Amino acid sequence: MHNGFGLFYFREDLTGPEFAQRFVKKAVDLHVNLQLETMVLSITPERVIRGCNEKGTFEIRAKAVVLAMGCRERTREAIMIPGTRPAGIFTAGTAQRYVNVEGFIPGKEIVILGSGDVGMIMARRLTLEGAEVKAVVEALPYVGGLIRNEVQCLVDFDIPVCLGHTVTEIFGSQRVEGVAVAKVDGNFDPVPGTERVIPCDTLLVSVGLIPENELSSATGVRLNPLTGGPFVDESRQTNISGIFAAGNVTHVHDLVDNVVGEGELAGSCAAEFATGKKRIGRPIDLKPGRNIRYVVPQTVTCEKDVVLYMRVKEPAEQVSLKVGNILQKSFRFVKPSEMVQVEVLAEEWSRIDPQTCELEARCEARRAKK
Amino acid sequence: MKAQEIICIQCPLGCRGNVMTGGMGEAVTAEGHRCKEGKKYAQAEVAHPVRILTATVIAEGGTDRLLPVRTDRVIPKDKLRACMKALAEVRVRPPVRAGQVIVCNLANTGANIVATTALRACHRPEYYP
Repeated sequence: MHNGFGLFYFREDLTGPEFAQRFVKKAVDLHVNLQLETMVLSITPERVIRGCNEKGTFEIRAKAVVLAMGCRERTREAIMIPGTRPAGIFTAGTAQRYVNVEGFIPGKEIVILGSGDVGMIMARRLTLEGAEVKAVVEALPYVGGLIRNEVQCLVDFDIPVCLGHTVTEIFGSQRVEGVAVAKVDGNFDPVPGTERVIPCDTLLVSVGLIPENELSSATGVRLNPLTGGPFVDESRQTNISGIFAAGNVTHVHDLVDNVVGEGELAGSCAAEFATGKKRIGRPIDLKPGRNIRYVVPQTVTCEKDVVLYMRVKEPAEQVSLKVGNILQKSFRFVKPSEMVQVEVLAEEWSRIDPQTCELEARCEARRAKK
Repeated sequence: MKAQEIICIQCPLGCRGNVMTGGMGEAVTAEGHRCKEGKKYAQAEVAHPVRILTATVIAEGGTDRLLPVRTDRVIPKDKLRACMKALAEVRVRPPVRAGQVIVCNLANTGANIVATTALRACHRPEYYP
């Protein structure tokens, strides 16, 4: 609902619905056969899809499949916050649906756990709708989401942020009456004696997203524990031939513009596959090295220009990002919530020693220039 | 002259830069922002901060309860709450088309409120728009 979508893709500042509708219109104009209110129950490695809708069950034999199930939110249960189980505990996304679609406000005095983009955007939204956001609590020593959201959602509305803190207990029998907040140590364990209670009637948890891969793993798609999504090559093909994956199902993105880019890539590669074009090349594995949590794609067959998406483990300033010995790029500032992209050109891949089958991506301090 | 750090919110890069301000709080120089838009934003931000407002208004008699809307231009930051108050009174009756002006000159800001999506008057056509 908020703006900031499409800045890179359309070079325009669009709201969520505006951005989405441009693609809905494209799909409708192209007469894409959309099966709405339909659920896929299983996909076999031979690409037979079984699904159901109100007309009954059906089976489709596909030449290529693109997985695009997106991601889901982690919940209070996923992070096991102790305490009672009263009404008034929501994920930030559920609250977003209540406020923006259904027209209900989830509470009056709100504490938000987690400072990801969804959490911060809900802090602003609820404040504008008349609720009081008493605190945004974040275990990390820095805000989790984009810095622009910290400025325009939290600073603009003087919403207090408790960095290096977490919620240690939830109180209340029928409805939430308050939460206990405590400092955390280097292992994210609460420090005894630092607890204080914040009275509130609602707790929103905004503690990360998980790629939605139950269907993929049942098919036998191999998942990367670092991304939560399938291992993919530069065409976004998974380990199963003809099954591709794109968007938040492969790894959680922070910008929708990148999700769209991946979707277009996987779509065109799936179309190539379905029409019988084969990719031949020597596969090179990309491994995360120093201060790199993950690299997508995990494998490259080095025949064309490839954009690598990476997430760093820790924030750092004045760094140099290296991919093996073929590419080096400088960054002023990197942080885990802001995905790093580098493009490796076809000719750069050709510089790889023919014996190599693995490259390491690493993010190192730049040598000071004097 | 006073220096002030301004983080640009125009795009996800979030450039940090410094703005030097004169005696009246007006921007004299801005540096550290990577693009022209950023420089413009930073200079405006020290003197007269502005934002786009996105919100919802209540829809009556259609298939959806709410219509998502936005201002068609930036408004002064200190008018955000006044605008929300004004929007609370607004009711729309579908059908509404995307981009339709719902309120002119919202709370005397000079900005119009426009629909960011279409709303249908009746149930379940084949596709969404």
